[in-house]
Amino acid sequence: MSIEEKIAELRQQAEEMIKRHADDLAELNEIRVKYLGKKGEITSLLRGLKELDTDDRRRIGMIVNEAKGKLEKIIADKNEKLKSDEMRSRLEHERIDVTLPGRKTWRGHLHPLTLTLNQIKSIFLGMGFTVEEGPEIEQDYYNFEALNLPKDHPARDMQDSFYITEEILMRTQTSPVQARTMEAHEPNSPIRMIAPGRVYRRDDYDATHSPMFTQVEGLVIDKGIRLSDLKGTLELFLRKIFGKDVGVRFRPSFFPFTEPSAEVDISCVMCHGKGCRVCKGTGWLEILGSGMVHPHVLEMSGYDPKRVSGYAFGMGVERIAMLLYGIDDLRLFYDNDLRFLRQF
Amino acid sequence: MQVSIKWLKDYIDFLETPEELADKLTMAGVPVENVVHAGAGLEKVVTGRLDEVVPHPDSDHLKICIVNVGGKEPIQIVTGAPNVKQGQIVPVAMIGAHLPNGQKISKGKMRGVVSMGMLCSADEMKLDIENLPEEQKTGIYILPEDTPVGVPVKNVLGLDDVVLEFELTANRGDCFSVFGLVREIAVLTGNKPKWPIIQVKEDDADESGALIKIGIDAPELCSRFSAKVLKNVKIGPSPEWMRSRLEGAGIRAINNVVDVTNFVMVELGQPMHAYDYDEIAGKSLTARRAKAGENLHTLDDSSRVAKGDELVIADAEKPAGLAGIMGGLESEIKETTTTVVLEAASFSGPSIRRTARACGLHSEASGRFERGVDVTETQRALTRAAQLLQDMGACTACRGIVDVYPTPKKQVEVSFSAKKINERLGTELAGGKMVAILESLGFRCDSTGEDSYIVRVPSWRNDVAVWEDLSEEIARIYGFHNIPSTTPFGSVMLCAQSERQSFIEKIKAILVTLGLDETVSFAFMHPSMLDKLNVPEDSQLRNAIPIMNPLTDDYPLVRTTLLSNIFENTMRNFSRKNDDIRIFEIAPVFLPKALPVTELPREIPKLAGLLTGRRAPIGWSDTNDMIDFYDAKGIVEELLSGLRVTRFTVEAGEHHAMHPGKTAAFMKGKDTIAVVGEVHPEIASAFGVKQKMYIFEMDIATLMKYAAKNFSYAQLPKYPSVVRDLAIIVNDDVRAADVERTIKKNAGPYFRSITLFDVYTGKQVEEGKKSLAFSIMFQSGEKTLTDDEADEAFQKIVESVAKEFAAELRS
Repeated sequence: MSIEEKIAELRQQAEEMIKRHADDLAELNEIRVKYLGKKGEITSLLRGLKELDTDDRRRIGMIVNEAKGKLEKIIADKNEKLKSDEMRSRLEHERIDVTLPGRKTWRGHLHPLTLTLNQIKSIFLGMGFTVEEGPEIEQDYYNFEALNLPKDHPARDMQDSFYITEEILMRTQTSPVQARTMEAHEPNSPIRMIAPGRVYRRDDYDATHSPMFTQVEGLVIDKGIRLSDLKGTLELFLRKIFGKDVGVRFRPSFFPFTEPSAEVDISCVMCHGKGCRVCKGTGWLEILGSGMVHPHVLEMSGYDPKRVSGYAFGMGVERIAMLLYGIDDLRLFYDNDLRFLRQF
Repeated sequence: MQVSIKWLKDYIDFLETPEELADKLTMAGVPVENVVHAGAGLEKVVTGRLDEVVPHPDSDHLKICIVNVGGKEPIQIVTGAPNVKQGQIVPVAMIGAHLPNGQKISKGKMRGVVSMGMLCSADEMKLDIENLPEEQKTGIYILPEDTPVGVPVKNVLGLDDVVLEFELTANRGDCFSVFGLVREIAVLTGNKPKWPIIQVKEDDADESGALIKIGIDAPELCSRFSAKVLKNVKIGPSPEWMRSRLEGAGIRAINNVVDVTNFVMVELGQPMHAYDYDEIAGKSLTARRAKAGENLHTLDDSSRVAKGDELVIADAEKPAGLAGIMGGLESEIKETTTTVVLEAASFSGPSIRRTARACGLHSEASGRFERGVDVTETQRALTRAAQLLQDMGACTACRGIVDVYPTPKKQVEVSFSAKKINERLGTELAGGKMVAILESLGFRCDSTGEDSYIVRVPSWRNDVAVWEDLSEEIARIYGFHNIPSTTPFGSVMLCAQSERQSFIEKIKAILVTLGLDETVSFAFMHPSMLDKLNVPEDSQLRNAIPIMNPLTDDYPLVRTTLLSNIFENTMRNFSRKNDDIRIFEIAPVFLPKALPVTELPREIPKLAGLLTGRRAPIGWSDTNDMIDFYDAKGIVEELLSGLRVTRFTVEAGEHHAMHPGKTAAFMKGKDTIAVVGEVHPEIASAFGVKQKMYIFEMDIATLMKYAAKNFSYAQLPKYPSVVRDLAIIVNDDVRAADVERTIKKNAGPYFRSITLFDVYTGKQVEEGKKSLAFSIMFQSGEKTLTDDEADEAFQKIVESVAKEFAAELRS
C-alpha cells in the first residue's frame, strides 16, 4: 500500500468514525486523539516523513497536512454540532409548564370610595381648590342655622338627623364646613375649597340609602363670582370625571343656603341618554346640588354680600363611584366583603 | 302634589304632550317626578260580551267563553275565573296586549282548547279593588250591563287621563295648587289662563256672622280665620267630573261637602275644613293653643292627649279639631248633617309642622300650611266652595263671611338693579326683559331710576324677600341652559390639602403596598361590642356617646374604638368564607369630654387593622404557612419606617383585646406610637374564631408627631464593609431586643448595622437556653477596615454580652 493510499484510507476511516461513532464530545475527542493526537495515526505519518527524500517529503507532507487540515475541520464542525445539540437537549430537558399560575403575593387595595374621592380631589386641586375638614359631630347651628335653615324649616325634613342632644347632631351634610371655613378666614377674603367627609342621615339601610355616606362640599367666594362661573366649573369637573362627551344640564331647584339654586344632571352613563332602569327612563341622572351662596349665609359668617359673592355645591361620592364602577347596591361599600374590595 | 292634565286644561290650553309639559316645568324649577298614563298597558283591552259560557270538557274549573268583541266573528277564550256568566260585559285583553302587571297576551291552548285572549280581573288591569264586590276582587272585573261592546276599556273606565306627579321644592308652596301650576304653565307656554268666575248667589236670609262666632286667641299661630255657613245641606256623592278630578289628584272622594273642600284646596291651594254646625257647642269656633292634658279626638277615631303647644280649633267646650291637620270626630260631616260651617284659615307653618310630626299625622292640608299658603285667599276659597255646592243643588248659602284677620299682611317690596342681577348670573339681559319675566309671574315692577326697579311681590310668593330671589326667578324662566359657562379667574391661592390629609394618604399607600385592604365602616357601635372586646369598665372607651334617635337597636352608640368595626368586618368576611383577611381602616373615634354631652366631643383619627390566615395567597406551590405575630409586627415596622418614624423602643405591651404575652408596644418616651398583638384567646372564642388573629392600633396624631418632616439621604459607603457573625447561647428568658441594644452600645465606632438571622431552641442547645445568631456589619467612612480592627470590635461585643447575659459563644 502506497503512502498516499494509506493516507486516503486513514482519512476515510477517521471520517467514517466521526460520522458513525462520535455521539458526544468525549467520543469525538477520542477519535481526535486516535488520529490527530501526539501519537495519533496521522500525526505518526508526519513523523515518518523524515525517512523520505526531499521531493517525496514535500509531496507527501502536503498530502498529509491537507488530510490533517480537512480532518481538523470536520472534527471542529462536528464539535460545534454536538455542542449545540447538547445545549438544545439540555434546554429541552429544562422545559417547565409555563401555564402554571405565577407565585402569588398579597396586593392591598384602596377602598373604592377612597379611589373615587382621590379622583375628585385631584381634579379640584388642579383647579386651585384647597381641601378642608370639619367635625362629624356638629352643632345644630353650623349644620342648619348658619346655612339659612332655622328650626322648623320644612327643608329640614329632607334630612332626618341623628341627634346627640337638642343642639348637637351627627352632621347631615358637609356644608357646615362652609360656615366654619368662612369664620376661620379674614372677612371677605377669597375662598376656594372642597370639603370631603362622612355625613349621617336617619335613612333605612337599603340598596340606595345608608345611615352614613360620603359627600364633597365645594365653596368659592371672591369678588364678582357669577352663576355662569358655577356652570363652567362644574361642567369641567363632570367632563373630567365622566368623560368629555357627557351631557350636563342645570335645573332650577331649591336649597335654603343658595339663591339661585340648581340641581345638576348628567346624561345617563348607562344608556347615554336613551332612557333605562338606572335613569328611570329620563336619560338624566341627578349628580350634584349647587347654587349661588345665599346672602344670609355670607352675612352670618361675617362676609359682606355687597362686596363678594360665591357659589357652593355638594355631591355624593357613593353615587359617583356607583356610576363609575357600575355598582348597583350601596351596601357593598360598607359590607367590606373582600371579594368586593379586592376588585379595585 | 299630583294633578291630572284634564284639570289643568280646565283652566289653560296647551299643545304640549304631557311629557313635553313635564319637561318644561321641570326645567323651570317645578319638578315633575312622574308622568302617569292612567290606562297604560290597557291599549289592547276592549269590552266584550260573553255570548256563551260552557264548561271545558277536560277540566273541572276551566270554562270556554264565546266573546263578542265588536268584530265580525266572536272569539273563543278559555278562563279559569269562577264568576263569569253568559251575558256579562267584561274587559278582554286581545292577543298582543301587554298588561300593566307585565303579562303579555298571546294565542294559547288550555287543555287542548284554543284561547284567543284573556278576560281581565281588576288586579290585572291595576285598578283599585277596594270597593269591588268580593267575587270581583279575585275574579273577572264585571262592567255595567249597558256598556257598549268592542270599545277600549280605557274610555269606559275613564282611564284616558294623564297624571303629573310633582316633587315640589319646599319654597314653592304656591305650586301646591292647580291655579299655581296654571300660572307657571301660562308663563312657560305663553298661553292665557281661563280663570273660572268665582261668585255665589247668597240665597239664604241668614247672616253667617249671626250663626257662628269666630275668634283667634293665638294670633302668632293663626293669622287669619274666615268662615261661611251653608244651610239646607243635602249630603250625597259629588258629581262624576269632580270625583275624577280628585282621583287624579290622589284624593279619595267621600261626600259632596268633603269633596268640595278638598277640591277647593287643590284648586286654590287654600286648605279648608267643614264642620257639622249642630255639633258645635256654643256656636263659636276659636283658634287657640290646646290646654295641656286636653283630649283631642280626631277624624281617624284616635284620641290624643294635648301637650299644650298644639293649635286647635275649639268650640265653647272642647277642641273640635287639630288646626290645619285633622278635624275632630264629633263635628265631622255625616249623612244627617244639614248645616255646615266652612273654615278657611291661615296657620303658622312651623307650628303645624311640629304638631304634624309629633302626632305622626301628615295630611294634604298640613303639607300646604307647612310650605306656606296665600293668606289673601280665604274669602275666595269660601265663596268657591259655596258656589260649587250650590251648583250641585246641595245647599243654600248664608250671607257674608265671618273674617277675623287682625294684622293684614303687608305688601312685600323688593328693589333690584339689572346690573347687579347680570353680575350675579353672568348674563347680559336688558332691564326690560327682566321686568317682562317678573310681570309674567305676577310681580308688579316700577322703574325707580336708570337701572333700578321696585317690585311688588304677589301674595302667593312667600319665598321672595331679597333681590337675589328675583335673580332666581329671572334665571329659571330665562332658562339655565341660556346662561353661559365661564370659569372664575379670581385671586391666586395656594391649593393644597392639609398635612394631615396627605399623611393619611401616605399611610394608606404604604399599607396597600404591604398587602392590606382598606375598609370603610359606619361610625356606630353596639355596647355589647365593648364587652366582647374586653374593654375595662373604667376605660374611657366605655363613655360612648348615645344617639337620641338611633335607627335600630343595632347601633345605639357612636364608636369609641375602630376595633368594633374591624371585628364586624372580619366576622362578616369569615361568614362568607373569606378566611385570609388583611384589613385596615383609618377613621375618627369619638370621645366625649363628659357625659351627657354638652359640647362637641373630641374626634380622634385612628388606624386599626387585623391580619389572619395564610402568609401567602393560596396557590399550587405555597406552604400554607399561617400568619404569626411577627408578620403583624413586621407590617407595623415597615409602616413606621415608611413614615420615617425612627428611634422607638419596643416593649412587651398591654392591650385589653390582646394576648398578654404576645403584645408589643412601640414606644417613644411615654407615648405609645403603635400596639400590635395576637387577639386575646378569650375574645377570639367569644367571636367563635379558631384561627389566630393579629391586630394593631395606632393614633394618627401621635404618628404625625414623630414622623420626620424632612429627610436627606445617607451617602453610599465608599469603603467596603466587614461582616462578622455572632452566635451565642443565652438563657431562654433573655430578650433579643436587650441583647441587640447591648451589642450596639459596645460595638465601637465602625458599627453600621445588626441583623438577627436565627433563633434556635432544640436538640443542639441545652434545655432552658436558646441560641441567637446575629450578623454584624462594620464599616468606616474614611478607610478600608482591617481584619484586626473588626476583630477588636467583635471581641468587645463578645465580652459585653458575656458579661451582661452570661452568653456563651456557640461552637
